[in-house]
Amino acid sequence: MNTSEFNALTADMDFSDTTALIIDDYQEMRSIFRDILRSCGADVKKISMAASGSEAISLIKKTQFDIVLCDLDLGSGKNGQQVLEEAKHLSLVGSSCLWIMISAEKSPEAVTGAAEYQPDAYLLKPVTEMNLRLRLAKIWGKKKAFAEIHQAMMQLDYPKAMSLCDQRLTSDKANAADLLRTKCNLLLITGEYDRAKKVLEKILVERDLPWAKAALAKILLKKNDFVAAKTLLEETAETNPAFLEAHDLLALALQAMGDLEAANSVLERAVKLSPNSVLRQKNLGAVAMKIGKLESAERAFRKSISLGEDSVLKTADAYFGLAKACGASKKPDEAIKVLGQLNKSFATDEMRLKVLAVEGMIYHQSDNAEKTKQIATEIIQLIDQDAIHPDSDGSLEIARLLMVTDDKDKAIKLLQREIKNNPENAALLQDVAEIFDQAGMGEEGSKLIETLRQEAMLIMNRGVLLVSKGQYQEAVNAMRDAYAAMPANMRVLLNLAYVIITYIQKNGPTPELIQEARSSLLAANELSPGDPRFIRLMASLNEFSASK
Amino acid sequence: MIWTSDLKENSADSIHSVANMTNFLASSVHDMKNSVSMLIGGLEKALASTEATQLSTHAELMQMNHEAKRINNNLIQLLTLYKLGQKIYPFDPQSICLNDFLHVMVAQYRELLKFRAINLEVRVNPELYWYFDEDLISGVIGNALNNAMRYTRDRIHIIAEENEGKLVLRIEDNGNGYSSQMLQESEDCVRGVDFQGGSTGLGFYFSAMVARMHHNQGCLGELKLENGGSLSGACFVLRLP
Repeated sequence: MNTSEFNALTADMDFSDTTALIIDDYQEMRSIFRDILRSCGADVKKISMAASGSEAISLIKKTQFDIVLCDLDLGSGKNGQQVLEEAKHLSLVGSSCLWIMISAEKSPEAVTGAAEYQPDAYLLKPVTEMNLRLRLAKIWGKKKAFAEIHQAMMQLDYPKAMSLCDQRLTSDKANAADLLRTKCNLLLITGEYDRAKKVLEKILVERDLPWAKAALAKILLKKNDFVAAKTLLEETAETNPAFLEAHDLLALALQAMGDLEAANSVLERAVKLSPNSVLRQKNLGAVAMKIGKLESAERAFRKSISLGEDSVLKTADAYFGLAKACGASKKPDEAIKVLGQLNKSFATDEMRLKVLAVEGMIYHQSDNAEKTKQIATEIIQLIDQDAIHPDSDGSLEIARLLMVTDDKDKAIKLLQREIKNNPENAALLQDVAEIFDQAGMGEEGSKLIETLRQEAMLIMNRGVLLVSKGQYQEAVNAMRDAYAAMPANMRVLLNLAYVIITYIQKNGPTPELIQEARSSLLAANELSPGDPRFIRLMASLNEFSASK
Repeated sequence: MIWTSDLKENSADSIHSVANMTNFLASSVHDMKNSVSMLIGGLEKALASTEATQLSTHAELMQMNHEAKRINNNLIQLLTLYKLGQKIYPFDPQSICLNDFLHVMVAQYRELLKFRAINLEVRVNPELYWYFDEDLISGVIGNALNNAMRYTRDRIHIIAEENEGKLVLRIEDNGNGYSSQMLQESEDCVRGVDFQGGSTGLGFYFSAMVARMHHNQGCLGELKLENGGSLSGACFVLRLP
């Protein structure tokens, strides 16, 4: 046997200055881990121990740990994954911290899950000094290999990240698989779907990798090819039942195809495999609600809320979902209570307005006409003062309420604005159609949607058309008009920035134009973060600022 | 799945009670694993101390540690089979460096091999990488190594190489080899329980199952028992696509 080779792998690790945190609910396990770290050369005075998630968080707030060994199952209270999420949410652990999740059995979360909330490694018990050392050495190697790439990604310099990936891929065999995956991810982020597709297909000729199939399916979904996405995902989920991302994407494809029953049963199965996902539970709740499975919806929303407590993934949507589920199952008091929690957790004016609208609907469902009308009047006053601008979801909730309180004109005005701002958002247009339908105005509604949608598309693209004819100044003017008419329209915001950038390329930059393009881009990114066009346009805009 | 496969013939009532039993077994196995982890942790600590080799009970401690690890492996395999049956095992093939993987495997047996005066040699190209579920394959290799250590005279080879687009992992020893009955049964892929011989068939069943779970481009992994090889003894051969 060759122990020297093994020792060489871990030789350059020096633990003497390492600060470490051990999180385990069993005292015996904590001391075993401490002994292991000590025999690795760690200073016992620099090792902290926590018996629960909340104890761990308060320690992490005080000390920057180099290594965290965390048991996934912490008995009652938070589990290890939730501790990690909270620590990352509060920016308590940076990229230099090595977080190792320890479990008795392999967990489904180890196979898939949002990469940002993944630990650096999963280790199965029993953990011995040797496998811990080796794992740490591997992670250190990987962190080194990816340091520059991650830095470029943090600075949104995706071309640089991509070329760093390509460079490394020529020589770094140990990290080749992860580099290739990162490269595909970068191509998806920057919207280079055709290039991504080619790379993925080349990978898949060699080996059936579930992540590559899932990435391919994501591209199909982007291109609205739902049937092909569904086929690919069904096959992936069947051969790799524990690969949860395939189930989640399959549910998305089925929802887009309008098959809510099927989407519901896919999510039910995924939740059985891995019950601890805030987002999946929320999605299940939403789908179950739509097909009238109120009990199941309520259960899923409750689970999502309790999992999301103190987590990065906490959303208001789960609270709204729960309130509506309670309202629909004739439990208005319960629903109002949930809305009260929402006001406490997410205290913004926009949120208060939306809560008010949902509250109004709950009174309406429980036949309290007086309260319903009172709330509707309050909302109308707030809107008329033009002090608060609700987001799309909020506007739809308000419209829903105003439709039942016979303020139809006001409701239609809100809905018109939403159609104009989101003419390409199929899900939203569907919701708008449904609101019209419930108000007995189905036909009128679909006509309005179609007319406004076509109008909006025309205005949205006018600037781009003028650019292609070489009329740059006219293009900028046209898009400024479009912006005035549709200030929250994603494509208008992006196209305004695009025509300004093209104008600058011809006529040179001014600080005002750069500022105008930048604020337009930032507004677009706020509506829908991380759109590939936003990333590309921001990169070209930054070139001007840099070269100036 | 072993337990559930017999259920279909039973009445509805007993199906219910046996299904509960299965969950009981699974949750108890999980709990036992935690206890065994602590046991192993304690033994490793005792054995790691400098005075350990001078202890009169050193040999017994070594043996206890080995047996505790064997229990742990068996529990893992039972749990894995349960989860495979329920379709909830998180199968996770990753690109693995065979050189690192095998040396870590072997290092776990370092002390015991020295103690039993067995010479073990790993033959692997350091540039060899392959896709497989690390946890499952280390269970399979662990089974094979335990067997080889039991039946070898004094030498074991572990060989990893690529052959015809597949990864071939061979664990060979210089013992007397497998009996013709075992060779035949491995062909038929059925190993019954042999309580007297101390073989439950679990290890073989698990290994064959794991081999077949690894698939690529329509090819399945396979497990074969042979006699011969570089040490003219038993050969445990795992082929992964």
